[in-house]
Amino acid sequence: MLRAAAPVAITALLLVAVPALVGGSSYGLRIASLTVIVATYAVAFNLLFGHTRQLFLCIGALAGGGAYGFVLLVRDLRLAPPLALAVVAVGVAAFGAFLSYVSIRRGFGVLFVGVVTLAVSIMFHNLLLGLRQYTNGETGLATRGVGFGLGNAPQEGYLVLVGVLVAALAGHQALLRSRHGLAFQALGEDELSAALSGIDVTRYKVGAAAVASGLIGLVGALYADVNGFISPSVFALGHVDIPVFVALLLGGMRTLLGPVVGAVLFSAVDEVVRPFGQLTVLTYGTLMVVLFLLFREGVVPAVQRVLLRAWARRLRARPTPPGVEGEPVAYVAAPRTVLPPEGRNTASEGGKASARDPSPR
Amino acid sequence: MLVVQGLWAGYDDVPLVHDVHLAVPGRGATAVLGANGAGKTTLFRAIVGLLRPWRGTVRFDGELLSGHPPHEVVRRGVVYVPAERELFPQLTVAQHLELGAYCAPGLFRSGLERVYTLFPRLAERKNQRASTLSGGEQQMLAIARALMAAPRLLLLDEPSTGLAPRLVAELYRQLGTLLREGVTILLAEQHVQAALHFCQQVYVLKDGRIAYGGPAGALRGDPELYRTYLGQAPGPPAPGGPGHP
Amino acid sequence: MTSIVLDGLVQGLQLALLSVGVVFVYGLGGVLNLAHGQLAVAGGLAVAILRSARWHPLLASTAGVVVAGSLALLLDRTLLRAAYARRGEERLLLGLILTLGVSFALDGFYALGAPNVALTLRMPSPSLEILGVRVRTASLAVGGLSLLTFAVLLAFLRGTRVGQAIRCIIQNEVGAVLCGVDVERVRTLTLFVSGVLAGVAALAQGFSSFLGPEMGTEFTILAVIVAVVGGVRSLTGTFLASLLLGLVNSALSYTVGTYLTWIVLLTVAVLTLLVRPEGLLAYWP
Repeated sequence: MLRAAAPVAITALLLVAVPALVGGSSYGLRIASLTVIVATYAVAFNLLFGHTRQLFLCIGALAGGGAYGFVLLVRDLRLAPPLALAVVAVGVAAFGAFLSYVSIRRGFGVLFVGVVTLAVSIMFHNLLLGLRQYTNGETGLATRGVGFGLGNAPQEGYLVLVGVLVAALAGHQALLRSRHGLAFQALGEDELSAALSGIDVTRYKVGAAAVASGLIGLVGALYADVNGFISPSVFALGHVDIPVFVALLLGGMRTLLGPVVGAVLFSAVDEVVRPFGQLTVLTYGTLMVVLFLLFREGVVPAVQRVLLRAWARRLRARPTPPGVEGEPVAYVAAPRTVLPPEGRNTASEGGKASARDPSPR
Repeated sequence: MLVVQGLWAGYDDVPLVHDVHLAVPGRGATAVLGANGAGKTTLFRAIVGLLRPWRGTVRFDGELLSGHPPHEVVRRGVVYVPAERELFPQLTVAQHLELGAYCAPGLFRSGLERVYTLFPRLAERKNQRASTLSGGEQQMLAIARALMAAPRLLLLDEPSTGLAPRLVAELYRQLGTLLREGVTILLAEQHVQAALHFCQQVYVLKDGRIAYGGPAGALRGDPELYRTYLGQAPGPPAPGGPGHP
Repeated sequence: MTSIVLDGLVQGLQLALLSVGVVFVYGLGGVLNLAHGQLAVAGGLAVAILRSARWHPLLASTAGVVVAGSLALLLDRTLLRAAYARRGEERLLLGLILTLGVSFALDGFYALGAPNVALTLRMPSPSLEILGVRVRTASLAVGGLSLLTFAVLLAFLRGTRVGQAIRCIIQNEVGAVLCGVDVERVRTLTLFVSGVLAGVAALAQGFSSFLGPEMGTEFTILAVIVAVVGGVRSLTGTFLASLLLGLVNSALSYTVGTYLTWIVLLTVAVLTLLVRPEGLLAYWP
């Protein structure tokens, strides 16, 4: 039990140590806060896309909904900040669950969910711009002092965000280790088979969407407080969804720490590339392409594989116990020794069954 | 005509075809029998280039076939009709036949005539979409499409699957006509009776290895041999069903 | 009223030029090309640069279209091979990421290399009167160009062997291989065609208003949404969806503001998907 809590605990400690590491520089804290926020979004996206194959391209919109909702509730309706936060989180969660439910009922595939949520994203953006009497349009809203006043205490703000991230990670891990974890794994692999095994796919997907959306809305609201300023472009596709998507893929989908690793890497790249000015976007794009061709599953699985191989090498060095000679049990092992490396299989262009199709015919 | 030597093939790291040797003589029918999962389809796909063999060679008329992409294999005269048929749901029968002649556009007219004579039911349904055809008609269409490419060797994967016995008999009658026209046939079947009565030569595949290869007559006539390689001994063929003369 | 309808149809045709290209690539390659808009921009910028170098407009336009097509070709032969090596959803995902990366790279490249270049194509007179209706010559140009392009495309698809092969690959890739179709070769050709269509779309945009280097992303998003609404494997469906959305856009632009137009347009798109999840005419080739 303690062993399992190690990764999250270590991550928490590292994150908490950051303010000390940057020597209290407000710029450093800001970058760190943004990284933590992206990481939290990525944890949510991991649950959405990594585990339940729901390509929600409206993370920015959900976060923006949380942010604007929070600010409007506190400032115009004079709601107490904690209550406003709760209302907003539940509201966004409900919306995410709604999107998920409708998509499932209509049998939308991954692509369609992506397009519909993309449309929602754009609609939300235009809504913000159009309702300028409430949102101040493109100019944005100054939110310093609204809510918990975290904007004036960057270190506290950062720690609150870290708290949310760590809680999300711990929750994610607990979920996967519970009996629901196996259901999620089955879901992620093959929905139809999972459904046929008696797993209520709808409930899991909608539930995942609700939790993930609620988390995103919550963090969006906190962002408004911490950052002191929100505007429609802050929550636009390019500013939220793309970085989160890239971060998760970089770090490794369906892993525990992938979102965090990915977000950190992404921020690092961002910082490195920033002084190049105009070259930024160009470098992003090129880096994305190169990194994805190299680390197809993400950094975390790649690292895990390296570690596993080192571990396996250690095990193989041990002497084999006597009497275990003879034919290997699974004939999977046989080809490696029997065949010279002569032309591995690749199901060429026309092959219907994929090269990863486990069912022999 | 077709010589397979030392073929190994599979998916990922799992071999499904182990060291297979077989020879298909021209102008006749050869059967590959075996249970589900024995490796018949993997073997066929490896022969035709849909799956890259790990080891071994496939030679057609003395020339190397293995290593060539599937469209090249079709051009050489070896056409495969898979068990799933792989039709184009929204295209009509006529469009299928047109596409079948993709590699042999010059022989389109004659091919069409031949196919409509062989399968008059398809001629009737010329402008019908493939998705609206019955199972038997779809099978016919799949074979007809393959014929449009003017094959010298036709590979049929479980052609009788999902067909009622009467339709199976009709199918084999049509295959007989093809044989007489000079097309060599290599077919994989679970429907042992029909294949044994139709083909001259038989191979039995068990767990990816050739367990038996020889004249069909020997297997037909020897119940002991039959039981060894194919399970229980056959009863007399059902009247009107395949295998009944 | 007529002018709204005409305008809508013209806008729809322009949209169709973009979205049909996306359907081609998805249907044949199983990849959703998120850099499609950037292909259009490449073509448009090429035309603009050549025009400013005093090239004849027709020559410059052809060159621009070829540039767009060639860029698509390059993409196919290099990066997309990694995607083609995989199957199904893995291919889609890898294709998404790679093309997304490329779209960023190109976006940055344009901003860097040609920040102030914009393509505008002017007709000799701003408007004409036809049958008593005042028509913008720009709309005529766009309409004429698109219809011509689609006519050629249709002839290609129906009349040539390769065109038919394209249609059948979209329906069943394995089936096409069994007929002896060299899928890889046909796929490369199709990528080129999709690039050419994008180039023509850029020309259309140059006619109707102007094309700037930053418009790539917007083009891509529009193209993808329309393609999905039309049935992402159906050329006819996407064409019709484009016309529909063009009409809606035209009707709205005359009545409400930009923001509301976007919202209504997208709502229509989403509603269409809700009502017919497979896309408008998913089962038509």
